[in-house]
Amino acid sequence: MIDVVSLALLGLVIACALATAVLRDVLAAIIAFAAYSLGIAMIWVLLQAPDVGLTEAAVGAGVTTVLFLLTIAKTVRPPGDAIFESVDPKGLLVAVLIVGVLASTLGALPPVGSAETPVAQSQVTDYYLENAYEQTHVKNAVTAVLAAYRGFDTMGEAVVVFAAGVGLLVVLGREVFA
Amino acid sequence: MIDALAAGPVDLLATRSYYAGTFLLLGIGAYVMIASPNLVKKVIGMNIFQTGIFLFFIASAYVDGAQNPIVGPKATGPFVSPLPHVLILTAIVVGVSLTAVALGLIVRIYNEYGTLEADVLQEVRSDD
Repeated sequence: MIDVVSLALLGLVIACALATAVLRDVLAAIIAFAAYSLGIAMIWVLLQAPDVGLTEAAVGAGVTTVLFLLTIAKTVRPPGDAIFESVDPKGLLVAVLIVGVLASTLGALPPVGSAETPVAQSQVTDYYLENAYEQTHVKNAVTAVLAAYRGFDTMGEAVVVFAAGVGLLVVLGREVFA
Repeated sequence: MIDALAAGPVDLLATRSYYAGTFLLLGIGAYVMIASPNLVKKVIGMNIFQTGIFLFFIASAYVDGAQNPIVGPKATGPFVSPLPHVLILTAIVVGVSLTAVALGLIVRIYNEYGTLEADVLQEVRSDD
Protein backbone atom coordinates (compact mmCIF):
# COMPACT_ATOMS: atom_id res chain seq x y z
CA MET A 1 0.00 0.00 0.00
CA ILE A 2 1.22 3.51 -0.74
CA ASP A 3 1.09 6.51 1.60
CA VAL A 4 -0.09 10.00 0.70
CA VAL A 5 3.40 11.58 0.47
CA SER A 6 4.68 8.96 -1.96
CA LEU A 7 1.54 9.22 -4.04
CA ALA A 8 1.86 13.03 -4.17
CA LEU A 9 5.53 12.75 -5.22
CA LEU A 10 4.65 10.20 -7.89
CA GLY A 11 1.96 12.58 -9.16
CA LEU A 12 4.48 15.47 -9.20
CA VAL A 13 6.98 13.39 -11.15
CA ILE A 14 4.44 12.34 -13.76
CA ALA A 15 3.13 15.91 -14.05
CA CYS A 16 6.70 17.20 -14.61
CA ALA A 17 7.29 14.50 -17.25
CA LEU A 18 4.06 15.54 -19.00
CA ALA A 19 5.12 19.21 -18.83
CA THR A 20 8.46 18.25 -20.39
CA ALA A 21 6.60 16.48 -23.19
CA VAL A 22 4.17 19.29 -24.07
CA LEU A 23 6.37 22.40 -23.60
CA ARG A 24 7.65 23.56 -26.97
CA ASP A 25 10.52 25.74 -25.80
CA VAL A 26 13.53 23.54 -25.08
CA LEU A 27 14.70 25.73 -22.16
CA ALA A 28 11.28 25.34 -20.48
CA ALA A 29 11.40 21.58 -21.11
CA ILE A 30 14.87 21.38 -19.52
CA ILE A 31 13.65 23.23 -16.41
CA ALA A 32 10.65 20.89 -16.15
CA PHE A 33 13.04 17.95 -16.54
CA ALA A 34 15.25 19.27 -13.70
CA ALA A 35 12.16 19.44 -11.45
CA TYR A 36 11.33 15.91 -12.57
CA SER A 37 14.81 14.69 -11.54
CA LEU A 38 14.46 16.37 -8.15
CA GLY A 39 11.08 14.68 -7.58
CA ILE A 40 12.43 11.28 -8.56
CA ALA A 41 15.45 11.75 -6.24
CA MET A 42 12.99 12.28 -3.37
CA ILE A 43 11.14 9.11 -4.38
CA TRP A 44 14.43 7.18 -4.14
CA VAL A 45 14.87 8.41 -0.57
CA LEU A 46 11.31 7.34 0.34
CA LEU A 47 11.96 3.92 -1.21
CA GLN A 48 14.99 3.51 1.13
CA ALA A 49 17.58 3.98 -1.61
CA PRO A 50 19.55 7.01 -0.32
CA ASP A 51 22.64 6.19 -2.42
CA VAL A 52 20.59 6.25 -5.60
CA GLY A 53 18.87 9.44 -4.40
CA LEU A 54 22.22 11.20 -3.88
CA THR A 55 23.50 10.11 -7.27
CA GLU A 56 20.27 11.12 -8.98
CA ALA A 57 20.27 14.57 -7.33
CA ALA A 58 23.96 15.19 -8.17
CA VAL A 59 24.09 13.57 -11.58
CA GLY A 60 20.50 13.55 -12.86
CA ALA A 61 19.36 16.95 -11.63
CA GLY A 62 22.87 18.49 -11.63
CA VAL A 63 25.22 17.29 -14.37
CA THR A 64 22.54 16.34 -16.91
CA THR A 65 20.81 19.72 -16.59
CA VAL A 66 24.12 21.54 -17.06
CA LEU A 67 24.86 19.42 -20.15
CA PHE A 68 21.46 20.29 -21.63
CA LEU A 69 21.91 23.98 -20.87
CA LEU A 70 25.39 23.99 -22.46
CA THR A 71 23.90 22.35 -25.54
CA ILE A 72 21.17 24.96 -26.03
CA ALA A 73 23.70 27.72 -25.35
CA LYS A 74 25.76 26.37 -28.27
CA THR A 75 22.74 25.80 -30.57
CA VAL A 76 19.28 27.36 -31.09
CA ARG A 77 15.94 27.24 -29.35
CA PRO A 78 12.97 26.45 -31.61
CA PRO A 79 11.58 29.63 -33.22
CA GLY A 80 7.92 30.73 -32.93
CA ASP A 81 5.61 31.89 -30.17
CA ALA A 82 3.61 28.71 -29.47
CA ILE A 83 3.94 27.60 -25.82
CA PHE A 84 2.81 24.02 -26.32
CA GLU A 85 3.85 21.42 -28.83
CA SER A 86 1.11 20.22 -31.22
CA VAL A 87 0.03 16.65 -30.52
CA ASP A 88 1.49 14.03 -32.82
CA PRO A 89 -1.18 11.32 -33.40
CA LYS A 90 1.30 8.65 -34.50
CA GLY A 91 3.54 9.14 -31.45
CA LEU A 92 0.49 9.24 -29.17
CA LEU A 93 -0.77 5.96 -30.64
CA VAL A 94 2.58 4.25 -30.04
CA ALA A 95 2.80 5.65 -26.48
CA VAL A 96 -0.77 4.50 -25.66
CA LEU A 97 0.00 1.06 -27.10
CA ILE A 98 3.17 0.79 -24.96
CA VAL A 99 1.32 1.84 -21.80
CA GLY A 100 -1.60 -0.48 -22.62
CA VAL A 101 0.56 -3.54 -23.20
CA LEU A 102 2.65 -2.85 -20.07
CA ALA A 103 -0.47 -2.15 -17.95
CA SER A 104 -1.85 -5.57 -18.88
CA THR A 105 1.05 -7.08 -16.88
CA LEU A 106 0.21 -5.09 -13.73
CA GLY A 107 -1.84 -7.89 -12.16
CA ALA A 108 1.02 -10.36 -12.55
CA LEU A 109 3.49 -8.14 -10.66
CA PRO A 110 3.87 -8.53 -6.89
CA PRO A 111 2.56 -5.64 -4.74
CA VAL A 112 5.22 -2.99 -4.03
CA GLY A 113 6.57 -3.40 -0.49
CA SER A 114 5.49 -7.00 -0.02
CA ALA A 115 8.05 -9.18 1.78
CA GLU A 116 7.19 -12.09 -0.53
CA THR A 117 8.51 -10.55 -3.75
CA PRO A 118 11.13 -12.54 -5.68
CA VAL A 119 13.68 -9.75 -5.08
CA ALA A 120 13.17 -9.70 -1.30
CA GLN A 121 13.30 -13.51 -1.05
CA SER A 122 16.22 -13.95 -3.41
CA GLN A 123 19.26 -15.88 -2.15
CA VAL A 124 21.51 -13.21 -3.62
CA THR A 125 19.85 -10.51 -1.50
CA ASP A 126 20.17 -12.66 1.64
CA TYR A 127 23.81 -13.45 0.89
CA TYR A 128 24.77 -9.80 0.47
CA LEU A 129 22.89 -8.67 3.58
CA GLU A 130 24.31 -11.44 5.78
CA ASN A 131 27.91 -11.45 4.59
CA ALA A 132 28.69 -7.97 3.31
CA TYR A 133 29.92 -6.61 6.65
CA GLU A 134 32.05 -9.63 7.66
CA GLN A 135 33.62 -10.04 4.24
CA THR A 136 34.26 -6.44 3.23
CA HIS A 137 34.06 -4.47 6.54
CA VAL A 138 31.92 -1.89 4.78
CA LYS A 139 28.71 -1.03 6.61
CA ASN A 140 26.84 0.16 3.56
CA ALA A 141 25.80 -2.99 1.68
CA VAL A 142 25.27 -0.98 -1.52
CA THR A 143 28.90 0.21 -1.46
CA ALA A 144 30.10 -3.30 -0.62
CA VAL A 145 28.27 -4.80 -3.59
CA LEU A 146 29.27 -1.96 -5.93
CA ALA A 147 32.97 -1.91 -5.09
CA ALA A 148 33.66 -5.49 -3.99
CA TYR A 149 31.22 -8.17 -5.12
CA ARG A 150 30.45 -6.48 -8.42
CA GLY A 151 33.76 -4.64 -8.82
CA PHE A 152 34.11 -5.80 -12.41
CA ASP A 153 30.73 -4.21 -13.25
CA THR A 154 31.99 -0.97 -11.81
CA MET A 155 35.19 -1.23 -13.82
CA GLY A 156 33.01 -1.73 -16.93
CA GLU A 157 31.12 1.39 -15.93
CA ALA A 158 34.38 3.33 -15.65
CA VAL A 159 35.31 2.07 -19.14
CA VAL A 160 31.97 3.37 -20.46
CA VAL A 161 32.59 6.81 -18.92
CA PHE A 162 36.12 6.85 -20.37
CA ALA A 163 34.80 5.83 -23.80
CA ALA A 164 32.17 8.59 -23.59
CA GLY A 165 34.88 11.12 -22.76
CA VAL A 166 37.02 9.98 -25.71
CA GLY A 167 33.96 9.99 -27.97
CA LEU A 168 33.08 13.54 -26.94
CA LEU A 169 36.65 14.73 -27.63
CA VAL A 170 36.55 13.12 -31.08
CA VAL A 171 33.14 14.58 -31.93
CA LEU A 172 33.75 18.05 -30.53
CA GLY A 173 37.54 18.22 -31.06
CA ARG A 174 37.30 21.02 -33.59
CA GLU A 175 35.02 23.15 -31.36
CA VAL A 176 36.95 22.54 -28.15
CA PHE A 177 40.49 23.08 -29.42
CA ALA A 178 39.76 25.69 -32.08
CA MET B 1 -2.12 -12.90 -8.76
CA ILE B 2 -5.64 -14.39 -8.65
CA ASP B 3 -6.25 -12.47 -5.41
CA ALA B 4 -5.07 -9.27 -7.05
CA LEU B 5 -7.45 -9.70 -9.97
CA ALA B 6 -10.35 -10.48 -7.66
CA ALA B 7 -9.66 -7.37 -5.58
CA GLY B 8 -10.45 -5.09 -8.52
CA PRO B 9 -8.56 -2.41 -10.43
CA VAL B 10 -8.57 0.22 -7.65
CA ASP B 11 -6.79 -2.05 -5.21
CA LEU B 12 -4.46 -3.20 -7.97
CA LEU B 13 -3.45 0.42 -8.63
CA ALA B 14 -3.14 1.26 -4.92
CA THR B 15 -0.74 -1.60 -4.19
CA ARG B 16 1.27 -1.23 -7.40
CA SER B 17 1.18 2.53 -8.02
CA TYR B 18 4.98 2.71 -8.53
CA TYR B 19 4.72 0.16 -11.32
CA ALA B 20 1.81 2.08 -12.85
CA GLY B 21 3.98 5.21 -12.63
CA THR B 22 6.80 3.34 -14.38
CA PHE B 23 4.49 2.42 -17.26
CA LEU B 24 3.28 6.02 -17.62
CA LEU B 25 6.87 7.36 -17.62
CA LEU B 26 7.87 4.80 -20.28
CA GLY B 27 4.89 5.93 -22.38
CA ILE B 28 5.72 9.64 -21.95
CA GLY B 29 9.41 9.04 -22.72
CA ALA B 30 8.60 7.06 -25.86
CA TYR B 31 6.12 9.75 -26.96
CA VAL B 32 8.70 12.56 -26.60
CA MET B 33 11.31 10.52 -28.50
CA ILE B 34 8.89 9.86 -31.39
CA ALA B 35 6.82 13.04 -31.54
CA SER B 36 9.23 15.86 -30.77
CA PRO B 37 10.95 17.19 -33.89
CA ASN B 38 13.72 18.77 -31.80
CA LEU B 39 16.79 16.59 -31.26
CA VAL B 40 17.52 17.95 -27.74
CA LYS B 41 13.97 17.09 -26.66
CA LYS B 42 14.39 13.59 -28.05
CA VAL B 43 17.36 13.14 -25.68
CA ILE B 44 15.24 14.46 -22.77
CA GLY B 45 12.62 11.85 -23.73
CA MET B 46 15.27 9.15 -23.62
CA ASN B 47 16.21 10.29 -20.09
CA ILE B 48 12.56 10.08 -18.96
CA PHE B 49 12.34 6.57 -20.43
CA GLN B 50 15.50 5.58 -18.50
CA THR B 51 14.27 6.90 -15.14
CA GLY B 52 11.01 5.01 -15.71
CA ILE B 53 13.00 1.78 -15.78
CA PHE B 54 14.99 2.91 -12.70
CA LEU B 55 11.69 3.38 -10.85
CA PHE B 56 10.71 -0.21 -11.67
CA PHE B 57 13.98 -1.58 -10.23
CA ILE B 58 14.00 0.52 -7.05
CA ALA B 59 10.31 -0.17 -6.38
CA SER B 60 10.95 -3.91 -6.80
CA ALA B 61 13.68 -3.75 -4.12
CA TYR B 62 11.43 -1.99 -1.60
CA VAL B 63 9.94 -3.84 1.39
CA ASP B 64 7.41 -2.12 3.69
CA GLY B 65 9.00 -1.13 7.00
CA ALA B 66 12.49 -2.21 5.95
CA GLN B 67 15.57 -0.03 6.49
CA ASN B 68 18.10 1.07 3.93
CA PRO B 69 20.87 -1.53 3.65
CA ILE B 70 23.38 -0.22 6.22
CA VAL B 71 24.34 -3.55 7.77
CA GLY B 72 26.89 -2.85 10.52
CA PRO B 73 27.17 -5.24 13.49
CA LYS B 74 24.50 -3.45 15.55
CA ALA B 75 21.94 -2.96 12.78
CA THR B 76 18.89 -5.19 12.78
CA GLY B 77 16.75 -5.90 9.76
CA PRO B 78 14.73 -6.20 7.76
CA PHE B 79 16.62 -4.40 5.02
CA VAL B 80 15.70 -3.61 1.44
CA SER B 81 17.66 -5.48 -1.22
CA PRO B 82 20.93 -3.69 -2.11
CA LEU B 83 21.38 -5.33 -5.51
CA PRO B 84 18.83 -3.29 -7.55
CA HIS B 85 20.27 -0.11 -6.00
CA VAL B 86 23.74 -1.06 -7.25
CA LEU B 87 22.47 -1.85 -10.74
CA ILE B 88 20.67 1.49 -10.92
CA LEU B 89 23.70 3.44 -9.63
CA THR B 90 25.67 1.97 -12.53
CA ALA B 91 22.80 2.68 -14.95
CA ILE B 92 22.56 6.35 -13.87
CA VAL B 93 26.25 6.94 -14.62
CA VAL B 94 26.05 5.10 -17.94
CA GLY B 95 22.91 7.13 -18.76
CA VAL B 96 24.77 10.39 -18.20
CA SER B 97 27.63 9.22 -20.46
CA LEU B 98 25.06 8.38 -23.12
CA THR B 99 23.41 11.79 -22.75
CA ALA B 100 26.78 13.56 -22.95
CA VAL B 101 27.77 11.80 -26.20
CA ALA B 102 24.31 12.35 -27.72
CA LEU B 103 24.42 16.07 -26.89
CA GLY B 104 27.98 16.31 -28.29
CA LEU B 105 26.75 14.79 -31.55
CA ILE B 106 23.82 17.25 -31.55
CA VAL B 107 26.17 20.26 -31.19
CA ARG B 108 28.26 18.85 -34.07
CA ILE B 109 25.14 18.33 -36.23
CA TYR B 110 24.07 21.92 -35.54
CA ASN B 111 27.47 23.30 -36.55
CA GLU B 112 27.38 21.26 -39.76
CA TYR B 113 23.76 21.73 -40.87
CA GLY B 114 22.48 24.71 -38.85
CA THR B 115 19.32 23.03 -37.60
CA LEU B 116 18.11 20.81 -34.76
CA GLU B 117 14.78 19.82 -36.33
CA ALA B 118 14.78 16.18 -37.46
CA ASP B 119 12.54 16.73 -40.51
CA VAL B 120 14.51 19.78 -41.76
CA LEU B 121 17.71 17.80 -41.25
CA GLN B 122 16.37 14.98 -43.42
CA GLU B 123 15.60 17.45 -46.24
CA VAL B 124 19.02 19.13 -46.00
CA ARG B 125 20.76 15.77 -46.09
CA SER B 126 18.79 14.49 -49.09
CA ASP B 127 19.82 17.68 -50.98
CA ASP B 128 23.52 16.90 -50.48
